Amino acid sequence: MYGNLVLRPEEIPNWGKKIEEEDPEKLAEFEARIARGEKIEPWDWMPFEYRRQLIRMIEQHAHSEIIGALPEGTWITRAPNFRRKLALMAKVQDEVGHAQLLYSAAETLGKSREAMINDLLSGKSKYSNIFNYPAKTWADTAIIAWLVDAGAIINQTTNSKGSYGPYVRALERICWEESFHLKYGYDSVVYLATGTPKQRAMLQDALNRWWRPIMHFFGPPDTQSVHTEKLVRWKVKLATNDEMRQQFLDMYVPKIWELGLTVPDPLLHKDPETGRWVYSDPNWEEFWQVINGNGPCNAERLAVRRFAEANGRWVREALKAPQARYVTPLA
Amino acid sequence: MASLDPRIRRAEPALWNVELPPLPPLDQWQTYEVFVVRTRGSHAQHVGSLHAPDPELALVLAKEQYARRSTCVALWVVPTEAIHRTAPNDEDLFQPATDKSYREPQGYLTTRERLEKYRHRLQSC
Amino acid sequence: MLETLEILLLSLADDDLILGHRHAEWIGLGPILEEDIAFASIGQDEVGHAQAYYQLLTDLGLPTPDEYAFKRPAERFRCAHLVELPNTDYDYAQALMRHFLYDAAEQVRLQALRQSRYEPLAGLAERLLREEKYHWLHARTWVEKLGHSTQEAHLRLKSAYHFLWPYAWLLFEELPQEAAMVEAGWMPPNLELRSRWLELITPILEGIGFDVTPPASEALLPLQGARHGLRSPHFEALLAEMTEVSASEPEAEW
Repeated sequence: MYGNLVLRPEEIPNWGKKIEEEDPEKLAEFEARIARGEKIEPWDWMPFEYRRQLIRMIEQHAHSEIIGALPEGTWITRAPNFRRKLALMAKVQDEVGHAQLLYSAAETLGKSREAMINDLLSGKSKYSNIFNYPAKTWADTAIIAWLVDAGAIINQTTNSKGSYGPYVRALERICWEESFHLKYGYDSVVYLATGTPKQRAMLQDALNRWWRPIMHFFGPPDTQSVHTEKLVRWKVKLATNDEMRQQFLDMYVPKIWELGLTVPDPLLHKDPETGRWVYSDPNWEEFWQVINGNGPCNAERLAVRRFAEANGRWVREALKAPQARYVTPLA
Repeated sequence: MASLDPRIRRAEPALWNVELPPLPPLDQWQTYEVFVVRTRGSHAQHVGSLHAPDPELALVLAKEQYARRSTCVALWVVPTEAIHRTAPNDEDLFQPATDKSYREPQGYLTTRERLEKYRHRLQSC
Repeated sequence: MLETLEILLLSLADDDLILGHRHAEWIGLGPILEEDIAFASIGQDEVGHAQAYYQLLTDLGLPTPDEYAFKRPAERFRCAHLVELPNTDYDYAQALMRHFLYDAAEQVRLQALRQSRYEPLAGLAERLLREEKYHWLHARTWVEKLGHSTQEAHLRLKSAYHFLWPYAWLLFEELPQEAAMVEAGWMPPNLELRSRWLELITPILEGIGFDVTPPASEALLPLQGARHGLRSPHFEALLAEMTEVSASEPEAEW
């Protein structure tokens, strides 16, 4: 009646099965559980498609955190005063911490951290496009901490209502920590916006350069990204890309305008009739280019990660216990 | 494009373009489950997992990943493989089939009523 | 006496600030996620400790922590050269060994400063020791574990140790006006602190097979003078990087 949890692909009986090949009775039970609002835990039966989609999503999220630590990490040593230096150290540390939590959550589904890192470094797994753009000035760090983290919070708060227990628990803690990032980011932005003309110009320039990647952040428009009804029913996907983008614009465009900044999109306005934001095409072709490895920093980001992994290898090897056995973490 | 990252200038350029053979299994060590004791007198609570090579380093590393903001008085770590759980399809083990109210305080809600009835009877005699 | 006190507090503060800055270069690049997080905390603590020391001077009407850290010319810094050394090629053995040697020194220094007759400093030392306890646990655990692991790890730690040893020794170089500080009961002489430090680290280093002997005087000679304001060749670039943003618009608030 009891055992510990060891999940390896070869030990998961329905690994690789298509949805129509799954046991219909188990599938119905699984769906009923989600419909009742219960969480799915690592030891529960789940259709392979659910497992696959979650691994992909959580893994990408984990990669985004660890790669996301790089552009801002660039500015830690240049932060202009004690308060900012300490806060930025803590914020980038949090990103690394989030990666740790998310990799653990993904591991519970049967993919080891080693396998995920290998797929990141080989380019097989993706991460958020936005981190393939350079952080050129101090103001970039403020814009990232405010608006990119705001986007991340919208995304993560949405996902935290999902059905997979370990992911939801990781997201709850992540959202709590991100709320510090958002406050720190807004505070930094307000200091620049209310500062000298040079500081204001620096901030506007950063906003101009980051606006398009931010519009891309929630993913392609719903017309181009068809998410099956199944993922919605399974509470893997809880809002569409456009819904999240609209929510972001609703919450942050007024705040940007309040600071006297200009959003670099002359078309941007809220349609009074539909209540929805209208904006120019943010160049989705560029989005696909960057996803496919051709952004301004893709190669550098992966090279840096590869360097860190290679450089730390002797440390990990030195302490590897010969009798160690891999068991899926409980997260 | 030249890197904007001052960290990149700190290492020999060749190092940033290393060939890295895939990480072998257990490169990231085994996992531990982390429990925090929030206040003296409270139960330890499971908060997550951690990769570490041994219990001593697991505690050292858990301290910053699981207790850097929250207040707590102690941490426990347990190798994940030491944890045993009841089987997933055994949730029904915990659901009683018969009325077990005799062992709950709520099973004794009518005592007072009984006494009142008796008093009533005495009075009406 | 204020000038003497400033020398003492700046030596303590600058060591912490510059080492915290160097540790911060590792954030996001550590050998494994869990250690990346732990080391980032240690770096934050060091920077925070520096701020707290500068604040003791601010409380006496001297410059603010930000002015001390971001607006001071290089030659007025008083940190030991150990903390200025760059993370060349990101060698974690060197980062760990520096952290070990330094935080052992912090243990000894702060334990002594708890008894300081300059009360604000004694009180601060008492508080900082709470965080330093973790630093020391972290440093010692790593050095002992790696020291007893593979040949490669042992070799890497050993070469880091040999390289850092004369620099670490000079953490306890005599301060300018040290006699007056000792006389005032602010701190024990550095010579005495150094011997307590050796008592603390010798069993651990010998336990992993490293010899502990005083560095040759010809190794020390070129490294002296840090507490008097003589900077190592690495400092200029560090300071330029640290102040890049603040100096770009000196009157601005950030």
